[in-house]
Amino acid sequence: MDIKPIPVPAQGTTLDWQLDQPYRAKHLLLLLLVLAVLLFTGHRTEMDKMVVMTGQAVGNLVGLADDSQVVRGLSRVGASMWPPAFGTEEEVARLTDLDRDQLPFLAKIETREKVEQHLNPDTLEMETSSEKVELLIKPLGYAWTVFIKMLETIEIAIWGTLFSVVLSIPLAWFAARNYTVNHFTYTLARGTISLLRSMPELIVALFLVLAYGFGPIAGVLALGLHAAGFLGKFYAEDIENADKKPQEALEAIGAGKLKTLWYGVMPQVVPQYIAYTLYILDRNVRMATVIGLVGAGGIGQELKGRFDMFQYDHVATILIAIFIVVFLLDQFSARLRAKLI
Amino acid sequence: MIEFQQISKKWPDGTLALSDVNVSIPKGQFCVILGPSGAGKSTLLRTVNGLTQTTGGRINIDGTELTAATARTLRQRVAMIHQHFNLTLRMSVAANVLAGLLPVVSTGRAILGWFEPAHRAKACALLARVGLDPKHLLRRAGELSGGQQQRVGVARAFMLDPEVVLADEPVASLDPKISREILSLIRDAARERNATVLCSLHQVDLAREFGDRIVGMRDGKIVFDGTPAEFTDERMEALYQGAQWEDNAVAEAADLYNDALQPQLVAA
Ligand SMILES: Nc1ncnc2c1ncn2[C@@H]1O[C@H](COP(=O)(O)OP(=O)(O)OP(=O)(O)O)[C@@H](O)[C@H]1O
Ligand SMILES: [Mg+2]
Repeated sequence: MDIKPIPVPAQGTTLDWQLDQPYRAKHLLLLLLVLAVLLFTGHRTEMDKMVVMTGQAVGNLVGLADDSQVVRGLSRVGASMWPPAFGTEEEVARLTDLDRDQLPFLAKIETREKVEQHLNPDTLEMETSSEKVELLIKPLGYAWTVFIKMLETIEIAIWGTLFSVVLSIPLAWFAARNYTVNHFTYTLARGTISLLRSMPELIVALFLVLAYGFGPIAGVLALGLHAAGFLGKFYAEDIENADKKPQEALEAIGAGKLKTLWYGVMPQVVPQYIAYTLYILDRNVRMATVIGLVGAGGIGQELKGRFDMFQYDHVATILIAIFIVVFLLDQFSARLRAKLI
Repeated sequence: MIEFQQISKKWPDGTLALSDVNVSIPKGQFCVILGPSGAGKSTLLRTVNGLTQTTGGRINIDGTELTAATARTLRQRVAMIHQHFNLTLRMSVAANVLAGLLPVVSTGRAILGWFEPAHRAKACALLARVGLDPKHLLRRAGELSGGQQQRVGVARAFMLDPEVVLADEPVASLDPKISREILSLIRDAARERNATVLCSLHQVDLAREFGDRIVGMRDGKIVFDGTPAEFTDERMEALYQGAQWEDNAVAEAADLYNDALQPQLVAA
């Protein structure tokens, strides 16, 4: 085939134009301004010190610097974290209702010499005495405790998620511009959503612990309230952005708002809703471990207790448990999402 | 029977989409509306079920005047078939057809998806009527071809046995063969129920073939009203090219001729 090349330049071409270029005086000025701000805030957030300390740590590790605060701190904690504590030891003498013939699963009794030093009031000298004590040893006693606490954490996350879904459905209805009742309900719903979203779980939990006491109630409510704001916003936006065509078809025959929502909108948005809800569940499990730190139940409460008592070997066990659960949850929700969408 | 009396529609931005439209479509008639883009065809159709509010004039449907009070019940008697089919694509074919019954089904039943056996039987019958294989019944509507989707749209439209069927470019995105099939379906199903059809089209040949009557619109006004035979090639040229026809003396005669299907020119 005979293809004629397009003549270059074509007739009437002018080249007195250019695309917008991102390196004019204005941009340079902006860049300098941003740099100045970063320098200022970098000093306030001790970024300079961070660089020095991290440099020292790296230097210490490769043998260039003889001391590093960071490495010292980490190795002290690291050393006391290893090995993680899985078992428990209790003095048999203190266990009043122990049946020696029927010990708990895997438990055994050991006799150990307990050496104690104390001051003799007559001679004013330190004396060493030793006595034999019997200990009940459960090799997986602490692992079991952590398991139970972890379960509680997951339960808190599930209930928090449930609570947020139930709360966010009416919120989403009223916060969707095209389904809300009137301007007042719209503003009210949007306001509530903003309020809920603006309150961090940890701080809400702090106050709820004051109101409901230590334990899971505060945890469930704190997670639920925050997530309800998140879900309400996203559910509402999906309703607003759903394809209008099927809705118009149902509106045209006078189907009514609720039925139109159910048949014209829900099938479109449900897969996305499931994705949001799974994300919230995932997030709630992670947050549930954190809000336990302020006493809102679950593994976090246990973690805080052990941390405050410097029992880093127990802390290690808890961290391992958290890691395993978050990992498994990630796998689970990825699989569920792939199946549903 | 649909009577438009001095219907006008001015959009908030000032566009006059309809100005003083007077036309009445007798019961059972298949009336095709032709006209260039922006003539006001969609706007006119949508005033019938109140999707577009008029800014002047009156609409009577089989003797009932369309007002805010009667809109809800009137809508159940006026079906609509859409250019883009307007199905819920992630929902099954069966659910889409049954959705045509939503105005008369209780909210509880609708949400639970419990449709009476009689309703489900009717959905099946209509799907068979529009020539959709029963094996598609529980497939997602989005998996169907355009032609099949419009069949579902037609079935949905006839679920409530409408007295009026509005079809806004129902075959605009379909091939010529399927277009004929769909238009035949609409015409025949409407005839069986003695329903009035108001159908806008862009294909003049289809308009001549299917219309009992052709109404030509331009700039919100009716500029032609007559039988397909009277819609000659010159008329067609004029409608789309925008040639100005003589005087507006005929305007006064409009109402007189309307029912007799006389060809006429209303002031262009
Ligand atoms: N929602 C709206 N807001 C403002 N103007 C509108 C709106 N809808 C339609 N119009 C205007 O009203 C006029 C008539 O539009 P309409 O959609 O009825 O034309 P049409 O004959 O159906 O055209 P087409 O053949 O392209 O579908 C046009 O000028 C259009 O711009
Ligand atoms: Mg149109």
